[in-house]
Amino acid sequence: MENAFTINQLNLKYGEKKALDQITMDIPKNQITALIGPSGCGKSTLLRTLNRMNDLIDNVRIDGDIRYEEQDIFAKEYDVINLRTKVGMVFQKPNPFPMSIFDNIAYGPRCQGIKDRKVLQEIVERSLINAALYDEVKDRLKESAKELSGGQQQRLCIARAIAMEPDVILMDEPTSALDPIATAKIEDLILELKKKYTIVIVTHNMQQAARISDNTAFLLMGELIEYDKTDIIFSNPKETKTEEYITGRFG
Amino acid sequence: MKSRKRFITDKIYQSLITLISLIGLVILIAVFVFVFNKGSSLLSWDLLTGDYYSTVYDGYYDSELTTNLFVAPDDLDSDTYFSTRWGIALKDDLDREGHDYILIVYVDTESPLANLPDKNNEGEMVYMASGQSLDKIIFSDNTIMLSSKGAEAAISQFESATGIKDIMFTTAGKGIRGSLITTMYLIILTLIVALPIGILTAIYLHEFAPKNNKLVNILRRMVEMLTGVPSIIFGLLGAAVFIPIVSTVTGTEGGNLISGSLTLAVIILPVIISSTEETLKTIPDEYRQASLALGATKSQTTFKVILKSSAPGILSAVLLSIGRIIGESAALIYAIGTSIKDEIIVTERSTSLAVHIWSVMSGETPNFELASAISIIILLVVFVMNLSVKMIVKKISY
Ligand SMILES: Nc1ncnc2c1ncn2[C@@H]1O[C@H](COP(=O)(O)OP(=O)(O)O)[C@@H](O)[C@H]1O
Ligand SMILES: [Mg+2]
Repeated sequence: MENAFTINQLNLKYGEKKALDQITMDIPKNQITALIGPSGCGKSTLLRTLNRMNDLIDNVRIDGDIRYEEQDIFAKEYDVINLRTKVGMVFQKPNPFPMSIFDNIAYGPRCQGIKDRKVLQEIVERSLINAALYDEVKDRLKESAKELSGGQQQRLCIARAIAMEPDVILMDEPTSALDPIATAKIEDLILELKKKYTIVIVTHNMQQAARISDNTAFLLMGELIEYDKTDIIFSNPKETKTEEYITGRFG
Repeated sequence: MKSRKRFITDKIYQSLITLISLIGLVILIAVFVFVFNKGSSLLSWDLLTGDYYSTVYDGYYDSELTTNLFVAPDDLDSDTYFSTRWGIALKDDLDREGHDYILIVYVDTESPLANLPDKNNEGEMVYMASGQSLDKIIFSDNTIMLSSKGAEAAISQFESATGIKDIMFTTAGKGIRGSLITTMYLIILTLIVALPIGILTAIYLHEFAPKNNKLVNILRRMVEMLTGVPSIIFGLLGAAVFIPIVSTVTGTEGGNLISGSLTLAVIILPVIISSTEETLKTIPDEYRQASLALGATKSQTTFKVILKSSAPGILSAVLLSIGRIIGESAALIYAIGTSIKDEIIVTERSTSLAVHIWSVMSGETPNFELASAISIIILLVVFVMNLSVKMIVKKISY
């Protein structure tokens, strides 16, 4: 099994506060890996290190290493911009730009220098189709993305990420702001996307992790407690802390 | 019992608030009513497009007068008098300074007065036309017409006259075209200078400068402080710095429009910086993150997402600045001068509408009417600007 990421002895501190403690794990290609754990355990922090979004936060100190496609992403000469075009991200709260639906999706490709209207049109349509949003918005691509419902906005954000033709999509609790119907649609979409992309998803919702993921990592206070196939984590965990968490005894 | 008391005090507070806001409203409306009342009579297209300086023409007529009788046009008012022998119509009127004069209402194209030999320049012609004022005539029998006698008397003298030794008439003047154009120039030149600098400075301060940096914070404080500095101080700066620089570069002397614009640019710069930065603060961090996560560079993020989303806020800063530019007078008195001009040259003195009002009011006989008329025009300019900016904002915001 090939890995998208190999994480080795990763430590991360916000100022003096330790947020990730000696994390070592592999994230296999073309599978869905779920990160679970109680609030504040470092799920988002771990996710953000994978596309180096933590660079934007002051006072972050990282040691250990992460390899993406065998390359050290913290290396000095490593091209972060390139990493982010290969490793897309979908955020907790849907965050479309205040632009038209079309411009939202064309934004990433445009930043890469694609100007040809026809090419962009194609990218936008393909991305919307792949994000299962096309039929709902095909007649109003020029309208503001802000007018879509929450669930549609989140699918738009997924389409925006897909438009970059990434290899990996990172998702930070992508359904936590959505109602059950919109959530179900996104979950279906994620399962569909798995065929083409490596997906790492943070979720608060254990049923969601159980439903859609292949592997599950359980974090607690910045430590990786247990990481295994999802069915094993949910049926036969080795650690008592994992068992306590998934049976709802704390967290 | 208790709840009744609470109810009553609440009612009293509510009525007090309403009353006080009403007072404010009444005062504002009263200002408008006053200005419109005073100024509306002078308001006309000629005021907007006319020259400020009037030209005096001096002609004579010594040929034989034809025996043809002219016919008065149908649309003459009842207080207008027509000379059938000379083909002109006159009426008594008040000029923009409030003085009596005789207004030339109509000159027949065939009238001998429509083109007269110039008294002062041999071989040249002078042309009488409607809108001019008739000042003085000496007829060939040496009778004199004075404008103070009124239009009716003038016409009856015309009717018995056979020739004219000397006739003086003047173009209207007191128009504000020059000052209006200067104001437009000021708005455009000032914004061209101040907008890019202001916006880029705000972007630097908010997006690029290191956070919690002492120096940056001091800079920001200074900018905020400058928004409250009286403009006359900037005017001194304009006089001391910009006039010499512009004069040296262009080889002209004294105040000029460019120095005025540069001075105004310095005045509005802090306003643009602060309000742009305030707008940038309201742009959610989510947009920056979403953009960077898509592999956009920092500058792409700044210009394609952040600046674009801030456009409505920046436009209201522009609006504020335009208001400031139009209304500014103190700083401009040094930098651009107070001389009212008809032909506007950017390297020379001229004057804005606001300073024009100041000149009109600071003469020996302050002219409230003209000042009010100019005020109405300023109000209209501001109103139109407001409306168009609002429309643009509506168009570009998502
Ligand atoms: N930008 C930040 N600055 C300082 N501390 C942070 C920051 N982001 C997260 N933390 C801290 O790091 C820990 C892990 O946070 P996070 O990764 O957001 O947890 P989770 O996503 O699992 O809820 C928390 O204790 C949180 O307070
Ligand atoms: Mg989180």
